[in-house]
Amino acid sequence: MSGGLPDLTARFDAHVTKLLGRPVTSRGWKQYPSGFSWSTYGVSIEAPGFDGVTELVLRLGPPNGLFAPYSAAPQFEALKAVEGTAVPAPRAFAWSDDESILGAPFFVAEKSPGVTVIPWDADDRSPRSDGAIGQQFADILGELHALDWTRTGLARFGEGLTRQNAAARAVDEWERGYRRWATRPHPMMHKVLAWLRAHAPVAPRLSIVHGDYRLGNFLEQDGRITAILDWELVRLGDPHEDLGWSCLPQYRGGTELMSQLISRDELYARHEAKTGLPVQPESMHFYTIFSLLKLAAVHMAGAHAFEHKGFFDMRMPAMATQIAPVLRQLEKALEAAS
Amino acid sequence: MNNSFPRLIDGMIEALRQNVLPATEGEFARGQVFGVIFLLKNLRLRAGWSTAFLGEQLAALDELRLSLEQIDGLSADAPRPAKLAEVTEQARDAGDAQVCALIDWHAAQGTKIPAVERAVDAYLHRQLRHELSTSAKPMFAEISLGKERST
Repeated sequence: MSGGLPDLTARFDAHVTKLLGRPVTSRGWKQYPSGFSWSTYGVSIEAPGFDGVTELVLRLGPPNGLFAPYSAAPQFEALKAVEGTAVPAPRAFAWSDDESILGAPFFVAEKSPGVTVIPWDADDRSPRSDGAIGQQFADILGELHALDWTRTGLARFGEGLTRQNAAARAVDEWERGYRRWATRPHPMMHKVLAWLRAHAPVAPRLSIVHGDYRLGNFLEQDGRITAILDWELVRLGDPHEDLGWSCLPQYRGGTELMSQLISRDELYARHEAKTGLPVQPESMHFYTIFSLLKLAAVHMAGAHAFEHKGFFDMRMPAMATQIAPVLRQLEKALEAAS
Repeated sequence: MNNSFPRLIDGMIEALRQNVLPATEGEFARGQVFGVIFLLKNLRLRAGWSTAFLGEQLAALDELRLSLEQIDGLSADAPRPAKLAEVTEQARDAGDAQVCALIDWHAAQGTKIPAVERAVDAYLHRQLRHELSTSAKPMFAEISLGKERST
């Protein structure tokens, strides 16, 4: 990636030429501004493309990105796992973690139609007011959590995972993130970690967990969700984890709707209808607190990327200013739990 | 704040150099950016987080230290913040590291000590209240979209 877009274009063309077994010259490169982590490019190749698809998206995990170092494998395997199911997502065609190919881990997928919505834009509320997208949002999540992943490529990430240890593993993973990224000690994080370890629930099922399921991480067109995006935090675990995350106050935009899309009761009811799993209040409480801890750690990753990875994007220290408000939410949540 | 003052200034300068200057047209506008960079460099040499900002954080640590001293029977091996000698980021971070160690230690005890719990909670509440009272209103829509928004 050191040679900029011309270098990336040449490397991409060479690699796709090798994959397709014919000379390929890409065109129409466009970098999308959204996202804090992976770099996303739109690119066209002439027919025949991958399964006939010629409009592609290339996602690169830069070495100075928010959660770097990256692997493209989980995202690629997740996209393959949901292909052909009721979970709409871009079809993925190629991936590699070999940095000699494009300079960073990457995957190539089809470009899905639609636009994303920025969750914190208070001036953009109207398209989701009729409830249809909210119902689809809930149904897709239920479909994802009901999928049998055991015969997919994601299964290799589930070694040793049980319904009993799923919560503890999730806490371990984000504790490691906190310890990697915190630019100063945060006593509240230690208090929350201790609480989570003492209250870890048993998962009702081991599911594919998207990890960042919310408004802003899907494409919509004509009032319908066309693709679920941003699978970089995908994991196997308790389905309550995604519910807790998508219900965070940060994504409600000042409304009573989860992710500004659907009431909590309807989200739970539709999820239960798809999965056959009643939403457990104790698990939701645990994963709400877990999600806030995770969000605080993500904000810490922003401060860390700015200070230590040379990621000079002003969104990073701006994210870091939100650590204290999230820790205050955690304080209130723990007070409510006692 | 979660970024150290000098590193935050360094990063702001690099953001202007790498992200703003290449996209800024016109000598006057580019000159204004260099002016901001120059003054940020001066700030870096002369400024830091204010004594008022850090002082309240260190006062909260000292209050916790005194509260812990008054708890009868608190084990000598329980971590606790030391008496503070200077008002610096490093002193605050060293104190908070001890509070983290205290929380971890307390969580590992078979029997919880309510007085420790209360002292730590009071400390956390005071620190968070101070952090929030010294934070500006978020501008994430503007930062994401690159234009003014209504809120």
